[in-house]
Amino acid sequence: MRDSRVEIRIGGTGGQGLILCAKMLADALAAAGKHVAQSQTYEPTSRGGYCNSDLVISDGEVDFPLATALDWLVLLDRLAIRPSWPLLKPGALVIADTRLCPDLPEGDRRAHHLPLSRTAIELGSERVANIVALGALAALAEICERRALEQAVRADTPRSFLDLNLDALAAGYRLGEQAITAPSSTSAG
Amino acid sequence: MNAVDTALAPKPAVRLISGNHACALGALAAGCRFFAGYPITPSSEIAERLSRLLPEVDGVFVQMEDEIASIAAVIGASMGGVKALTATSGPGFSLKQENIGYAAGAEIPCVIVNVMRGGPSTGMPTRPAQGDIMQARWGSHGDYPIVVLAPASVREIYDETMRAFDLAETCRTPVVLLYDQVIAQLAETVELGDTSDLARTERKWASGPRAAYQPYAADEDGIPAMSRPGAGYRVHTTGLNHAENGFPTQNPEAVARNLGRLLTKLDRHRDAIDSWQTINCDDAEVLIVAIGISARAATRALDIARARGVRAGLFRPITLWPFPETALREVAARARAVLVPEMNAGQLSLEVERILGGKRVEGMHRFNGEPITPAEIAARAESLAKAALAKETR
Amino acid sequence: MIVDSAAAFDVRDYLRQEMMPHFLCPGCGHGIALRALLWAIHEQGIDKDTLAVVSGIGCAGRLSAYIDANTFHVTHGRPLAYATGLALARPDLHVVVITGDGDCLAIGGNHLIHACRRNLKLTCLMLNNEVYGMTGGQVSPTTSESRLTSTTPHGNAEPRFDACALAAAAGASFVGREGTRHVPKLKELIRSGLVHPGFAFVEVLSDCTEIFGRKNELGSSPEMMLRQKSELRPSAYRDTVDTPFRSNDLPTGILTKTERPEYGAAYRKAAAAQRASMAKASAAKSAAAPAKGTP
Repeated sequence: MRDSRVEIRIGGTGGQGLILCAKMLADALAAAGKHVAQSQTYEPTSRGGYCNSDLVISDGEVDFPLATALDWLVLLDRLAIRPSWPLLKPGALVIADTRLCPDLPEGDRRAHHLPLSRTAIELGSERVANIVALGALAALAEICERRALEQAVRADTPRSFLDLNLDALAAGYRLGEQAITAPSSTSAG
Repeated sequence: MNAVDTALAPKPAVRLISGNHACALGALAAGCRFFAGYPITPSSEIAERLSRLLPEVDGVFVQMEDEIASIAAVIGASMGGVKALTATSGPGFSLKQENIGYAAGAEIPCVIVNVMRGGPSTGMPTRPAQGDIMQARWGSHGDYPIVVLAPASVREIYDETMRAFDLAETCRTPVVLLYDQVIAQLAETVELGDTSDLARTERKWASGPRAAYQPYAADEDGIPAMSRPGAGYRVHTTGLNHAENGFPTQNPEAVARNLGRLLTKLDRHRDAIDSWQTINCDDAEVLIVAIGISARAATRALDIARARGVRAGLFRPITLWPFPETALREVAARARAVLVPEMNAGQLSLEVERILGGKRVEGMHRFNGEPITPAEIAARAESLAKAALAKETR
Repeated sequence: MIVDSAAAFDVRDYLRQEMMPHFLCPGCGHGIALRALLWAIHEQGIDKDTLAVVSGIGCAGRLSAYIDANTFHVTHGRPLAYATGLALARPDLHVVVITGDGDCLAIGGNHLIHACRRNLKLTCLMLNNEVYGMTGGQVSPTTSESRLTSTTPHGNAEPRFDACALAAAAGASFVGREGTRHVPKLKELIRSGLVHPGFAFVEVLSDCTEIFGRKNELGSSPEMMLRQKSELRPSAYRDTVDTPFRSNDLPTGILTKTERPEYGAAYRKAAAAQRASMAKASAAKSAAAPAKGTP
């Protein structure tokens, strides 16, 4: 099939800002002329329950806008493993938070365990773990221009959080770049 | 620059917006200046957005005390001559039905958004379904005409919201915008362009001397001119069966005449009402008929099926009611098998079966809150194609 | 079209004569209430072209068809909700609601309490005849205790609503009650309601002689009306010594009158302020950006 389709899921729990960071990435991709569909699944509980935010990216119009075979999976909580693991494409790449998602299922997956939430805490707020994750994902996936992503983060951040979010994005990029040079582990858990 | 422009214009050309957001913007662009609603998942984003945008364009937003009050206030505003919208989901749509029938019978234009979620009853508020297809057509008691539009993408929600207002005004009818939770809360990159110069339809208003005016005497297009309160016509509007003069009657001839016109009035506007999309139908051996998220899945399924040598095509009604049946018949004539994937226990398939009388129509039904996937549709299309071929060669 | 309000009131100026004869039973109090309403409209000089009357279902709901104005006979219980939309969308109209005790207090009870709370300018005339007359005389939320109706064959055991107390408790800024026995007083009460800048609730004690009266052996129409005299008293008499001797102490006259912001005006004011601040922000933005082509 002629297909430029790329699927990304950011999975975790409600309240982690998964939808916001997916929207930022989508804005950056849209600015580069990509067609993007962003969807989410959430439970009736607003906070704490399983939540994911998915992006389907295509050069042309997106036909089916929901995830069918993930190219990239970012895990910010272990709750997201079970619903997401069966959707992984062979050869898909997983980025998992070392602290919140320490164990991954067996299988032939490339996985990077990165200290996303710990980095956010060190920066001053666990709430920016989503932005750290966004930076790491962007560095590893190389799906959009860094400047475009910074612009999207600026556009969607209240002034009082701007410095923190930009720092978090930069820290995420550093984590991602280090991971590129370090060998990725296959997800042996 | 008029008031609309300030609300809509100075935004980037390509935007990532949700279906519900697109609906709010489409309504404003169509000239909607009144919204009444009641909070309900997953349609509340429309109300939230219009609560901010309507005052910007000198419109009115009001959150009413319940679902019934919301549709009632919307019809009330429209009786005053203002384009009006309400938005809801399954439980609220059920509650609104009596008054939707009033709007149909008294011929008051209005637009009702129903974002379909799991049912029956409270169902699954955050999960998609397509179980209100029949209710949208037949939900209120008695015989009445109604227009139901079923957009399948964010962009299409924007366009169809505008068309909903145009049809409501042109045909003096309630119009239902019916889309599922996925499309409602899905965000897609869309280019809305400049919406400020769109030619919008205005209601046909009464003119001429009061003595000669009959509020329900139709012109050749089957649609009576409406009188605007304050213009001096002082007419009566009622949900009782009425004669051309607007007053209640039980005279069988008068009722048959006026109700007969009401029930056939949309027939004269089918060119403007009917809308559908076909993909790869010219050589299709398996024809898929679907709406909303199921149609999006089917679109992808076409490619999967073709890659496996199965010639599949898609017929997607954009106007769901009245169903574009002539177009479907034409397209289906060439197909060996017809497949209807839908997120319910069998509704669209019933209408397709009726239209294609005698042709085997295979339903593919799911009602667990999980959308049907492209791969599943493709696999079913493949097995249907094989079975049809086997039958023919036997 | 304005009828000269200085001229003597002629009810025919406000009626759709082609709708006569009307469908009300002989002796029904609703016709008196209608006359009082039209008289008040006349004296107040309200233009028939900008008068909108919204009514619900039931005997009271049918009255709008007789009024020579913009009239809307809507669904059961919902006239206040329709009127809310109409009045918000068209603040230039004078919107009057005619409803009955079942329409307003039972099926439409939710709309009543929220209309009272919201305080949009509407005049709501609730004609209370203690019964669902049009459907054959069933018990209503205002049927007196022990009364016989077609659904209380052994007498009504439910307590009744005091509609005015309900409206006042829900925050109505104008509440009044009057019987059909005293037409000029009723007209004056309605007139006060029409000029009130907010939601005005007026309860009219009407009589259903044909169905309710006959079933309860309340006598002829004049006898039923005279009964109002023994059961009603002006609110000013509330604390007089005869209180214990009255079987029924429904007070009449203006019972509540307070000044609260009218909802429609408050909404439009806030919206105008929002637009002004937007215009200011956009002007500041365009002033900051250098105009193209200027040296």
